[in-house]
Amino acid sequence: MSTTTTLRVRNAPGFRIDASSLLPAALAGLPVADIQWLMLPAGNEAVAVGDVFDVSRDDADDKAGENTDDGEEPVLVIEGAGPWLERIGARLDAGRLVVRGSAGDYAGLRMTGGTLAIEGDAGGFLGCEMRGGRLDVTGHCGDFAAGALPGDMEGMTGGTLTIRGNAGARLADRMRRGLVLVGGDAGAYAASRLVAGTVGIAGATGAHCAYGMRRGTLLLAREPASLPPTFSEGGRGFEVFWALLARSLAREMAPFSGWRTPPRARLTGDLAVDGRGEILIAR
Amino acid sequence: MSETAPLTINGTAIDATFAEAFPMKATRLLITARTAAWAREAAVSLTGFATSVIGCGCEAGIERTLDPEHTPDGRPGVSVLLFAVSSKELAKQIARRVGQSVLTCPTTAVYGGIDPATSAAPLSDVAPLGSGLRFFGDGWQIAKMIDSGNGPTRYWRVPVMDGEFVCEDTVQTVKAVGGGNLLLLARDLDAALVAAETAVAAMRRLPNVAMPFPGGVVRSGSKVGSKYAGASASTNDAFCPTLVGLSPKSELTSEVGAVLEIVIDGLTEADVAAAMKTGIDAATQLGRAAGVLRISAGNYGGKLGPYHFHLHALAADLGGARA
Repeated sequence: MSTTTTLRVRNAPGFRIDASSLLPAALAGLPVADIQWLMLPAGNEAVAVGDVFDVSRDDADDKAGENTDDGEEPVLVIEGAGPWLERIGARLDAGRLVVRGSAGDYAGLRMTGGTLAIEGDAGGFLGCEMRGGRLDVTGHCGDFAAGALPGDMEGMTGGTLTIRGNAGARLADRMRRGLVLVGGDAGAYAASRLVAGTVGIAGATGAHCAYGMRRGTLLLAREPASLPPTFSEGGRGFEVFWALLARSLAREMAPFSGWRTPPRARLTGDLAVDGRGEILIAR
Repeated sequence: MSETAPLTINGTAIDATFAEAFPMKATRLLITARTAAWAREAAVSLTGFATSVIGCGCEAGIERTLDPEHTPDGRPGVSVLLFAVSSKELAKQIARRVGQSVLTCPTTAVYGGIDPATSAAPLSDVAPLGSGLRFFGDGWQIAKMIDSGNGPTRYWRVPVMDGEFVCEDTVQTVKAVGGGNLLLLARDLDAALVAAETAVAAMRRLPNVAMPFPGGVVRSGSKVGSKYAGASASTNDAFCPTLVGLSPKSELTSEVGAVLEIVIDGLTEADVAAAMKTGIDAATQLGRAAGVLRISAGNYGGKLGPYHFHLHALAADLGGARA
């Protein structure tokens, strides 16, 4: 049996709210009455949870399939969320957080563990500087997903981020480790300045894809419209690595889950920098 | 029932003695290749000259062949077990042997074969694998973290002339047991060979054990010490048939024409015991009619090794008759 806490939006406020303190494990240890009096930052003001949400608690067995294999995992469900709810799941380290509706900017910021599932769209800086755990978005997301905060040197350094829709510009900018999969298109500068890690894009890519890529792997289901001229043919003989990677992707969303045969082409670059990155283009 | 009472199975006498075994450090490596034949070539090379820690640095053996569906990269493979007296020596042997025998072998890749989450053997250290071999890449090597469901695993991709040599960054080692043994005393050399080959074939079907000597069998069983200074081990004169009546320690009768020994290293005490029991069962099924007269074991009086495998206890449910 696990504890499921549900926050159902009663009145959508006309301003942005910082939801970073709404974490499954933290709320599972509080009585509902106490949760209602939690204060959430909202610009220079603060609002009580009870002013915005109806709070309910379910200690019964899993009903909505929200619990995973671990029956003891605390679950937090936010229903009716919108772009005004920012930093959802920021620094999440355990438990499962389900967002029904859209999420604002900085969802999953620096999360280190647990699962954040957004059943809608997400704003900018999704999974920004994410270090572990799993973040799934059924809709689209804004710019700088899996990237770094302005001025920081490293973007995502661990975990898995999947976006079933489209991603904005600068996807995985300065990413160093982890897995990012996009089921739709990606904006300009996808995988730019990639240090390492794996990025997969099923749809079209924008301008300057893989610009400044140092190491890491970019999987493309389609031929990119253009690539920096500082990429070259990457040779052959990477079948064993591909077998390992394809097996790990089998658990992920299509089309990545169905990739078995080695890619049609391998390009290496960006030779303007380290040059040990690779772009694998599916058959 | 007293262990000192004689025990006979199918006419073969089981001595009331025990094998004495020692703590070791061990790991399992999974070697894969384009074909099963190349995986085996690498495994044979890696486990070559690894019969005894006395002179080889480690003891190693092929555990079993692996179908493609049981390997990390979906190719045919072979699992090997390596045993050494210390974590430091084991790490040294892993690096040397993988570097010279697997890295060099066409199409191969190598992975750790101990799952910390499910290992029955107590976990020990983590030994370098690719983290040392990567330097062969001369800067062209690439590290890659891949999560296959059990958390991220770090691999190294080292460019080589047939493509890439892929290996795991580190391997888990465990606290294991080495030195389980059986002495097969037979009427003549032919009978001893048949008994030993039959027992080894049966024991090799078990997981988690390696019989590191050639064919799993050793004819030069040794005792600790020597009359010569500087020799740490010398022939086990108590079981040499040419020394019956000469050596005061001889445990043989003139009926015994040859003795062969099987040494067993295992990941756990239970694994070694299971292998010894299987070996006793296989040899005694041949029985006295096939010339298998006695089964004994080597020990040092029980003062050196903490693991004691008493033959009568192992053979207790093998259908023997006590005199």
